[in-house]
Amino acid sequence: MPTAYPLPKDLSPAIVTNTASLLRIIALGLISGAAIASRLFAVVNFESIIHEFDPWFNYRATRVLASKGFYEFWNWFDPTAWYPLGRVVGGTIYPGLMATSGVIYNLLHALHLPVDIRNICVLLAPGFSALTAWATYMFTKELKDESAGLLAAAFIGIVPGYISRSVAGSYDNEAIAIFLLMFTFFCWIKALKQGSAFFGTIAAVFYFYMVAAWGGYVFITNMIPLHALVLLLMGRFSSRLYVAYSTWYAIGTLASMQVPFVGFQPVRTSEHMAALGEHSSSMYQLIFIHLTLTGVFGLLQIVAFAQLVRSHVSSKQFQELLVSAVISAGVMGFFAIVALTYKGWIAPWTGRFYSLWDTGYAKKYIPIIASVSEHQPTAWPSFFMDLHFLIFLFPAGVVMCFRALRDEHVFVIIYAVMASYFAGVMVRLMLTLTPVVCVASAVAMSSLLDTYLDPKEPDTDEQKGRSALVGTTSASIGTSATAAPVAAPKKTKKTKEKEAPVAPGGVLGDLVSGVASSAAAAVQASETASTSKSTKGIFGLDTRFAVIMNTIGLLLFFVLHCTWVTSSAYSSPSVVLASTSPDGSQHIIDDFREAYYWLRQNTAEDAVVMSWWDYGYQIAGMADRPTLVDNNTWNNTHIATVGKAMSSPEEVAYPILRKHDVSYVLVIFGGLIGYSGDDLNKFLWMVRIAQGVWPDEIQEPNYFNKGEYRVDDRASPTMRESLMYKMSYYRFADLFGAQQPMDRVRGQQVPAKGPTLDYLGEHSVGFRCRGNVSNSSSADEAFTSENWIVRIYEVKKDDILGRDLKIANAFSEGKKRKRSKPVSRRKAIRGW
Amino acid sequence: MLRHSRTLALLLAATLFSSLSLAGPAFENTAIVRSVELGGSLVHLSTTYAIKALEPGQTVYHIALGKDEREKTSWIEAKVKGQMKPLAITELGEDETSTAHLLAVTFPKTLAINGTVNLVLETIQTHSTHPHPERASQSDPQLLKYNTDLFILSPYTTLVQRTKLKSPSPNIISYSTPEGVDGFVRDGSVTKSGPSITYGPYHNVGPSVNLEFLSKYQQPISVHYNFDHPVLEITNLERSAEISHWGSNLNIEDKINLHNAGPILKGHFSRLEHQSQNFFRRLSPHILSDLTLHLPPGVTNVYFNDLNGNVSTSHLRPAPSVPKASKTHQYSILEMRPRYPLLGGWNYSFTLGFDTPLQDSVSWDATEEKYIVGVPVMTYIPGSVVDEAKVKIILPEGATDIEFISPFPALSSTISTHITYLDTTGRPAVSLTYKDLTERHAAMIFVSYKVPFAAHMKKPVAVGGAFLSFFLFGITARRINLRLHK
Repeated sequence: MPTAYPLPKDLSPAIVTNTASLLRIIALGLISGAAIASRLFAVVNFESIIHEFDPWFNYRATRVLASKGFYEFWNWFDPTAWYPLGRVVGGTIYPGLMATSGVIYNLLHALHLPVDIRNICVLLAPGFSALTAWATYMFTKELKDESAGLLAAAFIGIVPGYISRSVAGSYDNEAIAIFLLMFTFFCWIKALKQGSAFFGTIAAVFYFYMVAAWGGYVFITNMIPLHALVLLLMGRFSSRLYVAYSTWYAIGTLASMQVPFVGFQPVRTSEHMAALGEHSSSMYQLIFIHLTLTGVFGLLQIVAFAQLVRSHVSSKQFQELLVSAVISAGVMGFFAIVALTYKGWIAPWTGRFYSLWDTGYAKKYIPIIASVSEHQPTAWPSFFMDLHFLIFLFPAGVVMCFRALRDEHVFVIIYAVMASYFAGVMVRLMLTLTPVVCVASAVAMSSLLDTYLDPKEPDTDEQKGRSALVGTTSASIGTSATAAPVAAPKKTKKTKEKEAPVAPGGVLGDLVSGVASSAAAAVQASETASTSKSTKGIFGLDTRFAVIMNTIGLLLFFVLHCTWVTSSAYSSPSVVLASTSPDGSQHIIDDFREAYYWLRQNTAEDAVVMSWWDYGYQIAGMADRPTLVDNNTWNNTHIATVGKAMSSPEEVAYPILRKHDVSYVLVIFGGLIGYSGDDLNKFLWMVRIAQGVWPDEIQEPNYFNKGEYRVDDRASPTMRESLMYKMSYYRFADLFGAQQPMDRVRGQQVPAKGPTLDYLGEHSVGFRCRGNVSNSSSADEAFTSENWIVRIYEVKKDDILGRDLKIANAFSEGKKRKRSKPVSRRKAIRGW
Repeated sequence: MLRHSRTLALLLAATLFSSLSLAGPAFENTAIVRSVELGGSLVHLSTTYAIKALEPGQTVYHIALGKDEREKTSWIEAKVKGQMKPLAITELGEDETSTAHLLAVTFPKTLAINGTVNLVLETIQTHSTHPHPERASQSDPQLLKYNTDLFILSPYTTLVQRTKLKSPSPNIISYSTPEGVDGFVRDGSVTKSGPSITYGPYHNVGPSVNLEFLSKYQQPISVHYNFDHPVLEITNLERSAEISHWGSNLNIEDKINLHNAGPILKGHFSRLEHQSQNFFRRLSPHILSDLTLHLPPGVTNVYFNDLNGNVSTSHLRPAPSVPKASKTHQYSILEMRPRYPLLGGWNYSFTLGFDTPLQDSVSWDATEEKYIVGVPVMTYIPGSVVDEAKVKIILPEGATDIEFISPFPALSSTISTHITYLDTTGRPAVSLTYKDLTERHAAMIFVSYKVPFAAHMKKPVAVGGAFLSFFLFGITARRINLRLHK
């Protein structure tokens, strides 16, 4: 048989398999290494530190687990969160992540490797990304073959869409969940292929692990039944499907109910997912009805029963039986659902579910969901940013799945469709799309490479006979340049040259054939199609070379892109900010940790800190102080209370603060150095959320000046009197001396004198320079970090004489109280 | 008249001493001069006793310290004036009437009758000053008060004694004037000149270690002065030094709880004011914004972090490693800045660690076939006192025949087992606890130990064994087929 390039001949099959196996192991090892290494930018550029917000909670919980043991952790009631409500942590989290770290921690310590728990947490995500690469390899291997598997592993190892949630320090549920997702899917496919109860059980066990680890388990909960349903509808019911699904369903559902946070949701919540109030990092939606899970199970039983019946009755009777059964089942099922919903046994659809179908839903009705940036619809460029050329290969891969269309290919197709839709709806769901994109692209690219690496030259029976003939003639023509060892491809080319309509002779012909081989191949293909059927294929080394070089080029650019995106976009801890000074040296802005550490070291241990909910977990983790609200946004009213306190004037805010025992109020202010993620930029969300609960007291339009959000002279009066505004700009103007103070984030000039709060004409707050003693009436600046990013205010206690603090302040400043406008004395809030 | 009174005093002393268990009035202090250098957390005292022996063959001299004074005193060293070698001091504890604390100093050679010697007693007091007023705002100066007793106690008659208190800045706010000491005074009971205040000279002070004298004449005096450096207190210091022969490395890690013991901040911290003070270089003296530490030469991998991770605001100027014997005093200089400026009453806890080459601190004693390692008790933070310190020296795994010498008595010492990376049986660790350490305490602890060759090989054998068993498992597992259907 002719080959495009010589292959070694005298190799035993054993050597080939062993070498291939070794190469695969090495390749997988290198892929794991690359996956881990590319996630370490954050550690190298900054330090081994927990990133962002949610990871700080997970880290704190893990520390409790590591130091106090699992039972203590399981029963942990955290009185410092959601002050004064507290939080039953053990029952309101997905414990899989912490349990994983805890197991690793104890294992390493048992082996006398006393690794710090922080380092385990930081490096957990990169470690699991290596496992994800392996699981993806196994999954893709089932779809196509090992080489596609290796490609898929390499893709998932470094693709930014996955790295974005699994860099070192990003210690969140997603860190381990993608591995579990892929491995569960692999086990499901394997179980389905073999009709294996064993793999079905493994799939169920990993499904349980996934349920314990991430709210996104609902994706599996819905993908597998849907797959089964589609197979059923395609008429592909088989005993393999029956065994696999029944095992998975029975064990998986029972196991998942053991997770307290999930509990009986699998049978009670219709969308089977974290409702609005639950853990925000839980992932939501991706959802059809949970009923598919049980429904498909029931359906499978019915179909299996029907098969049994069919084998015993005649086909006419069977059809009649079937029709009547389907109709009655449908009617009964509908009424059952209505009745259950009416009775409240099945929870109605919740907000996040609607926001999946109508992307504008959240913005209209639930500001707290809309306020989270990762709940926004995905922008188109981010698809390219996160997936690079895979996004173009992805459809090709899906189409290739149609060509084979075995059961597992149906699975990938469903997965691709669903994940594509949801990734378009919500930025964070890009994460679930990424694995299937990698798998499908790997299938496509591997097919391409297979085709072009395959040394086999297309040849027909007819051609074979002719090539021998032409071989002798071409030699006689005298194109001696072609060497003997590579004679085979050359010969064929010459053959087709001969046959080509415009056949230039001699040396020139050789040249042309070399350059335009691909064109010739096409010509030949069309030509030979008329004479013979099966001569499609790739001819010559150069064709192969061109395509493969292109592919390698693409892969190289992919690597470059991934590295660049990872290092520049996804590797910032956001707790520590880096800025570059004019001479190119890096300057670390460490205000958050400075202020949190100050709180930790220099305030009473039970001092309650109020801040916007974004910083709740960080304060609990780094400052170790009780907070009013945190990132576990389960109580909208409590958050709205904080929003109201922040957006109200001091007189209104003070009783709220006192009622909640608040000792310190913390705001983030980026106006001095231009940190745009500060509280004033989030302020409108606070207003909106507060407005949702107190529409009479807080109205968003009041914070605008003719539709403009301003902080300068033209800021609206409500804005200027709000606690947030005052705390942000307290003594800010003094910093600039005689110059016009400038807010660098909003690019607006703040009033030089600062607005004075004196609606009674007798009281001034904050901005007036009064030497060293400058107090605002209800709170005083307790600490401000180096770059003024974090500002902490201490809430004053009630006046000893029971006066209103404002009056007391005015008195101590020697101001005379105006008689004309009496100030109603506020009642004592605490005490009796 | 003078002679008369002196003999009277001597007689008095003789009768008094007969009641004590001491061997009569063997000495007479011709003069006692004490100079006190007022400071923040540390106050240095230097007392010179001019001694005359009244009886032949005397070698043991008794020094008395007030009970309060003894509690505050953390470092005591006695020398014969002009000599380098410190004299042996034995703590006798409180005297019978429990009025004072007695120390016995042994002279290197016996004194003949009327022989004289000048004894210099150097002591360092900790926690002997306190801020007054107790609260100060961010721009206020730092005012401290030092309290002590007027008379320097001695079981012997003292012909003349004088106490001089020197303040680091000439700004002395107030000082107390002693009362009822006219019998001892000729010119004036107290004089102030510039930054120093002198109490005395007081003449013909009888033996003062008795209740009668103390109740009659002893009285507290206090000085209120300005101090221009932060008063630092390390409430807790935990040092662990880990010796690794395989890595040829000595790792030293300090866990430090730093407290600013100056006046507590009145009102609140204003960043604006702090920044403007910083800009005009007029930072209030009780604010600590940075520290300069002297680390050993040849340090590598210096880390400075706290519970929230790395603190990126420090500079290190490393000095190259120097051989043990060399006389050059080189230091690596670490300029570290805490996360936030430390105002009065604020705390800051952090971890500071570094590696040094092992050969700089370990030497091989060929005669006993032992290693000897020297580990400093602490890295001194300028102007601070260490309330509690725990030093843990972790020796290599399998070290035997452990002996250690502390440069000064430790409160407690234990040998425990410490398990860290790749250990099988754990490493022996020597733990020593101390309290009230000062700059003079930053000396070396010496530990000697033997490490047999087998102990050195423990680690590679353990690691090799672990890998071997892992591979063996892999080799076997691959060859066992557990399938039911072939």
